[in-house]
Amino acid sequence: MAALPRRIIKETQRLMQEPVPGISAVPDESNARYFHVIVTGPEDSPFEGGLFKLELFLPEDYPMSAPKVRFITKIYHPNIDRLGRICLDILKEKWSPALQIRTVLLSIQALLSAPNPDDPLANDVAELWKENESEAIRNAKEWTRRYAMDN
Amino acid sequence: MSQLERVQEELEALEAIFMDDISIIYNERGCVDLVKSVIFPSTANEVDKQYVCVTLEVKLPEDYPDSKPIIALKSPRGLDDSTIDHLHNEIQKKCDEYLGQPVIYELIELIRENLTESNLPTCQCAVCLYGFSDGDSFTKTQCFHYFHNYCLANHLIITGKHFKEEQEKLPAWKRSTKAFQATCPVCRDAIYCDVDELKTALPPRELDDAQKFEVTHDLKVLQQKMQQLFNYQKSKGGIIDIEAEENKLLLITNSNDSQVADDSVDPGPSLANNIAPPLSNGLQTRHQRHYSKYTSNR
Repeated sequence: MAALPRRIIKETQRLMQEPVPGISAVPDESNARYFHVIVTGPEDSPFEGGLFKLELFLPEDYPMSAPKVRFITKIYHPNIDRLGRICLDILKEKWSPALQIRTVLLSIQALLSAPNPDDPLANDVAELWKENESEAIRNAKEWTRRYAMDN
Repeated sequence: MSQLERVQEELEALEAIFMDDISIIYNERGCVDLVKSVIFPSTANEVDKQYVCVTLEVKLPEDYPDSKPIIALKSPRGLDDSTIDHLHNEIQKKCDEYLGQPVIYELIELIRENLTESNLPTCQCAVCLYGFSDGDSFTKTQCFHYFHNYCLANHLIITGKHFKEEQEKLPAWKRSTKAFQATCPVCRDAIYCDVDELKTALPPRELDDAQKFEVTHDLKVLQQKMQQLFNYQKSKGGIIDIEAEENKLLLITNSNDSQVADDSVDPGPSLANNIAPPLSNGLQTRHQRHYSKYTSNR
């Protein structure tokens, strides 16, 4: 494997030294481009109290290309599908090299506070979210309680 | 000479020297409220070479110059916090030294000298996250953001390439009639640069001195905590089982139960097991396979 770019080292060090509240990202022992991530569910959202595991991978040409991020913990959210894939513009066409691991994870946390059923990735979830929001929120809370808790 | 006359005389002198570069704002009682000036480094009027600037705001108390003016530095560009702090200290020293005498001209000159000395942005390049050293070639965008030429060239080449690839994927009638427009990585404003010239630049110097990456004890503790949480959530059936989910996508079902993965099936994209290296390698490959799967599905 080619040497790890300095920017990745710098971001990793900053993530360790000045962690973002509610977010932790730790590089894998055997692959420093692969991060184990925990995002806590934001307050006053149906995901409150949940600890959501994600995986984040920095591709070869990062930061020129966006990191690849996916939820590992099950989550009931209109913009996240059953495979944990996330519908978020900055991970696709709105990526900019001025964004960082921390800003990406903050955006994902913000997406948990503000689900957008009009731009769905999980169609069944989005439909329910539009037709019967209170039931959808109940489901999201139930999934958080069932799957995203710590022991 | 009365105090008011002394202040008036100082301000008239300032207006004569700095002309449009200084603005004096009066309050409704006709007294001086604020003296304001945007200060640039001296570059023999070569505006292109001014990489930093700051706005000085001076409030004059009633008994000025027998008491010190109140100073604010606003809208700093290309200057980091430590440079601003240093400037504040210098300003306070100057104010103490000139107590009882007119000081505004001295302050403007002091700031200008400081900016001229450090006419190199002290902020970081948002692309590589390293600073600007003497000898680095860098660009100040129209929107006052700073990038190493090397870093900006990479950004422009890749975004240009992505734009072209996206266009080629579209049917002819859907393609944009507009040419590729480069944008600032920080604020997404349109920028206009010559990529061919930028890409001749060498990589930033600070990159050579950057620290190496090490797996510290703290890091290992965090890795273990992550692993524990994963194991716990997995035992609760809370971990997405990619293979099982993909198989389900092949079945047409409306049942809500289908969203709950069956734990008896394959363990899914579990995290690398830190204890057993051969196994961890095996899982790593699985990860990569999953990545290519879920990205190509998008």
